[in-house]
Amino acid sequence: MLNYNLPINVTKDYSEINFSTVDPVLKINLRGKNREFITKIGKILSIIPPTDPNISSGNENLNILWLSPDEWLLYSNDKIDPVNLHAYLNNDVLEEKLYNEISLAKLGSITNVSDHWVMINLKGKNIFELLTAGCPFNFNKFKNTKGAVTQTLLNHIDVIIHNKDINDLNIFVRRSFSEHLFLWMNDTAARI
Amino acid sequence: MFLINCPYCGERDQSEFSAGGEAHIVRPKQPTELSDDQWAEFLFMRKNIKGVQFERWNHIHGCRKWFNMVRDTSNDKIHTVYKMGEKPPIK
Amino acid sequence: MSEKLRITNNKFIDQTSRISFKFDGKKLYGFKGDTLASALLANNIHLVGRSFKYHRPRGIMTCGSEEPNAIVQVGNDPSMTEPNTRATEIELYEGLEASSQNCWPSVNFDIGAVNNFFSPILPAAFYYKTFMWPGNFWKVYEYFIRKSAGLGKSPTKPDGDIYDHKYLHCDVLVIGGGISGIMAAKTAAKNNLDTVLIEDKNTLGGTTLFQQNECFKINNSYSNEWLMKEIQSLSSLKNLKIKTRTSLAAYHSYNYLLARENLTDHLDIDQKKGKIRQRLWKIRAKKVIIATGAMERPLIFNNNDRPGIILSSSIKKYIDFYGVKCGQKISLFTNNDSAYETAISLSKSGVNVNSVVDIRDKTNSLIVKQAEKLGIKIHWKSTVVNTNGYKKINSIEIIKLSDDGTSVIGKKINEKCDCLGISGGWTPRVHLFTQSGGKLKFRDKDNIFIPDKSDLDQLSIGSCNGDFELDDVINNSVNSTNKFLNVNNNDYENLKIISSKEINKKNIWLLPSDKPLGKTKPFLDFQNDSTAKDIKLALREGFKSIEHVKRYTTTGMATDQGKLSNMHALGIIAETAGVKMGELGTTTFRPPYTPLTFGAIVGRNVGEFFDIKRRTPIHEWHVENKAKFENVGQWKRAWYYPKGNENMHEAVQRESKAARDSVGILDASTLGKIDIQGTDASEFLNRVYTNAWSKLEIGKCRYGLMLNEDGMVYDDGVTTRLGENHYIMTTTTGGAANVLSKLEDYLQTEWPELDVYLTSVTDHYATVSVCGPNSKKIVSKVIPNLDLSDDKFKHMSFKNALINNIKCRVMRISFTGELSYEINVQSSYGKSVWEKCFEAGKEFGITPYGTETMHLLRAEKGFIITGQDTDGTMTPVDLQMDWIISKKKYDFIGKRSLYRSDTIREDRKQLVGLLTDDPKEVLEEGAQIVADINKKPVEMLGHVTSSYFSPNLNKSIALAVVKNGKKLKGKKMLVPMKNKNINVTITDTIFLDKENRRLNA
Repeated sequence: MLNYNLPINVTKDYSEINFSTVDPVLKINLRGKNREFITKIGKILSIIPPTDPNISSGNENLNILWLSPDEWLLYSNDKIDPVNLHAYLNNDVLEEKLYNEISLAKLGSITNVSDHWVMINLKGKNIFELLTAGCPFNFNKFKNTKGAVTQTLLNHIDVIIHNKDINDLNIFVRRSFSEHLFLWMNDTAARI
Repeated sequence: MFLINCPYCGERDQSEFSAGGEAHIVRPKQPTELSDDQWAEFLFMRKNIKGVQFERWNHIHGCRKWFNMVRDTSNDKIHTVYKMGEKPPIK
Repeated sequence: MSEKLRITNNKFIDQTSRISFKFDGKKLYGFKGDTLASALLANNIHLVGRSFKYHRPRGIMTCGSEEPNAIVQVGNDPSMTEPNTRATEIELYEGLEASSQNCWPSVNFDIGAVNNFFSPILPAAFYYKTFMWPGNFWKVYEYFIRKSAGLGKSPTKPDGDIYDHKYLHCDVLVIGGGISGIMAAKTAAKNNLDTVLIEDKNTLGGTTLFQQNECFKINNSYSNEWLMKEIQSLSSLKNLKIKTRTSLAAYHSYNYLLARENLTDHLDIDQKKGKIRQRLWKIRAKKVIIATGAMERPLIFNNNDRPGIILSSSIKKYIDFYGVKCGQKISLFTNNDSAYETAISLSKSGVNVNSVVDIRDKTNSLIVKQAEKLGIKIHWKSTVVNTNGYKKINSIEIIKLSDDGTSVIGKKINEKCDCLGISGGWTPRVHLFTQSGGKLKFRDKDNIFIPDKSDLDQLSIGSCNGDFELDDVINNSVNSTNKFLNVNNNDYENLKIISSKEINKKNIWLLPSDKPLGKTKPFLDFQNDSTAKDIKLALREGFKSIEHVKRYTTTGMATDQGKLSNMHALGIIAETAGVKMGELGTTTFRPPYTPLTFGAIVGRNVGEFFDIKRRTPIHEWHVENKAKFENVGQWKRAWYYPKGNENMHEAVQRESKAARDSVGILDASTLGKIDIQGTDASEFLNRVYTNAWSKLEIGKCRYGLMLNEDGMVYDDGVTTRLGENHYIMTTTTGGAANVLSKLEDYLQTEWPELDVYLTSVTDHYATVSVCGPNSKKIVSKVIPNLDLSDDKFKHMSFKNALINNIKCRVMRISFTGELSYEINVQSSYGKSVWEKCFEAGKEFGITPYGTETMHLLRAEKGFIITGQDTDGTMTPVDLQMDWIISKKKYDFIGKRSLYRSDTIREDRKQLVGLLTDDPKEVLEEGAQIVADINKKPVEMLGHVTSSYFSPNLNKSIALAVVKNGKKLKGKKMLVPMKNKNINVTITDTIFLDKENRRLNA
């Protein structure tokens, strides 16, 4: 049996800021340019990828984040039961189905990026105090928009931010940067 | 620090972008048929204008899309941005 | 003493909370709310520093950020001490220790003061002129000059304080919390605009806060009382954020501004610890309102720099706000009405005002009449021609002015005093406006530059816009703010305002004297010690441009950036050169407005946050196994794994030998990986690599070389065909981001017709490379179901496999020339797969090796590393890799450049091997290669790019680039080093296993 190792696997509480990693969740990069692609994804997932920028679509299981006019990030909401983890990651029906019906059907590309990104959940009244310490993005509108998405820099590191709900958001950071970013987040949160 | 209106994502801080030099230099379709001088013209020669300049920018830390920008280099004023493949506005 | 100088009737200073502090080692007392300057003045300490060049005694001159003289060193802890801080801006706290600068051994007895007597031979640019010759003597001069000059001491240890940065986005930013800023902020916030008001002092209110004078009333209240109510009303505004102790440092284009907030500088020593000291705000505002006020100008006359000579408005603030008398017998000298406000305040507080010397003809404005009513004596149409007193002023000399103001007439009057207030009119603080690119215009009637045009969404209001009188300030600010914000706030309609109006204006930049200019010292720039004489000298010597005069005389180049001196310099230049000031223009105003600490500039980007650290999924294992790490780009890569007391050389020799003799294991997770899909994927690869890709079978891998359009090698790596329209490309570790960005560029801009999608998967996969003759045995133990036989799993091919039900991709590729397998598994299982391989390899003595051994092994095989053996000037032909350039392909990136006249030159630098005659001698990378050391100048033919001692060949090997190297094979060359010349022979680049037998061993 192989062991599953996460770069960050802790929950931290600060003044009105809570960090936790929710892993493993499935993450798939979706790319395609035409209407057929959008329709097909809609059919397979029962969610239409948003064509308007900086937003997401989803249901209780899955989210599709707009990344660019021909790119989306699909991620599952819930942590997978560790017992079924291996089965889930290997025989991932969803990924295979998408690959067969999109990539092989020449409609676009489907790439598993589950371990490319680490997802950190932030909750609490002060989370935007933390983000504005290292992020040039204007959160004034974003923070009140449920489902808003942005790709930007946080402490000089590329991140995708998904505003799930009021004072509840997910940050996606590339795995190799995640420990460094998390260190910075803790350093900053401790002084808020 | 500019505030750049990405044609896809909207207004963002300059730190999310990278500049890619002069716009509308088309890569020759048949490079092998060009003389050294003609190829050098494509490869090396760039304008460096004090005034209105057409530039390529990439929203590298955002949607990763390239786009064009009309910028006045004398006062850094960005007149407009437009997508790749779109016609440049007339000067 | 201090009791006599402090008035008790004061509402701004809490006289119940006494604070002790030290100045120049002496224990003194002040109150909460004092600045260091006000506390020193209350202790009758005026002399606080020595001037830069002549070491003349200098005293506190202002009460704000424009202070040129009272710059002090704060603290004496080697990590926390801070030089060049303005005593007028330091809030007093318990435990403050400050000392004078630029004096030795003490401010009261300063050896450098001897310069003052030599001043006739120390004119402008004296140092430039004198110490130019003989050139190499500068070393000697410099020692003495540096010792006697200098501005404070730098800390010698790292700063122990914490600083940080924060971004702020708002609709309206109001800079300056004086009367106009307060009204503007209130207007904006009341109209639902997200508003931020910043103020560099600890309280809002500006100078109106303490303006309690019959001549300035609003709706029958004193102006200060009216303003207090306005300030109180701000707290109910939800959209308004107020930041005090926050100084706007820089105003850039696109309304991007930097402001420094002081968070702990005012706290008592024991309360500072563990808190953020200063925060740099990075502000992006839709609209900016500048309400930064104005600065009072000094007057330029002989000996105008003595301690005790203070700007008149500062004397007013010291008495009205801090409750401190700057003297007991104060004289005032002015060219405008504002000195009368000071005279009235002093008189009401019981300070003896000797007289007001006014260069104007008698005038009858409201405020002058009030002063006369109080019995204050006025010398109309007179000037001060000299002051006396060495460490403190003790008298002034007054003479009548001629009608045209160019000379003095009559008899000198000597007036005893212990303080002289001077007022030369007002200069709007247009610094931020001009920093932002705004253009100024000159207003002749009062000789000021005011904001004219700006491309940004901004507005200047109040005295920084040239409105100096209360009714103008209020009415114009209200009107222009409403218009600028497109709102209609009627709070300030129909206010009944009483304001004294200045009737008579007169300005003389350099006041006439009873002595010739050469015998006087009329100081312009107090901090840099430049006088009106210096300016005139520069003009005589032919300098015309204001920017040149500034640099030649150093006027305006001290830490105060000439806040007080620049206008006078301009005025004197204009007058002397006979041009109009408006045409002369100003010098450039550059950020920061006041000096910033380095700490605030770098914020938290220090120590562990100085640079980003990327870690591989197997990083923890390397740490546990005592690897030494190397920085590759932002990655931390295992460099080598020393055993016991091994040094790097010993470890690398052992690791290299193990990989060739048995088996080694390398973490290759850092290589860039790009998932390529789309119906045109093969065509795309054809265009970006030099070799052909269409015929690559599914399941096969191929090495590719990527060029820039100029034909130079850019990156390389192995790409694998996973499916008909699906590839995975690997790039170099350092090149990953740039390669992806370059490929996206071509796809989006040059070839949008191609159906290709690129997705970075660098971090999704961990890559475990098992290398050496025993590698097959290990992989077969870890993945028993995989057929590893040579005919089923050939070199340069890949297989999908399962390790304990986890999917992985196994590539049989080699960067070392040995039989090797690279196992790619999703990152979270990387460490586990690594450990499994390690466990399986124990019986073969599996040896983890790092980047250094990897580099050595590939050098034995003559494989290049882009970026080490190439430097952006090497074509594939230069690298002797002609075989990788497809002859059949019509085009690929860089193809046309491969036969430009320059790239086909035969004598280009080309990659070769080097063997030292002495096999034990290892060359230094970067060392030069020459053919003939005796021919001068010695021709450098090239340099060593990679060099190692090969344990497998038992000799030193190197790669190098050498001019015309291909044709020089077998030729002897020299590598000249500091103490010897090393003899080398040019060879082939492959040192080991030319036949590639080991790949299938």
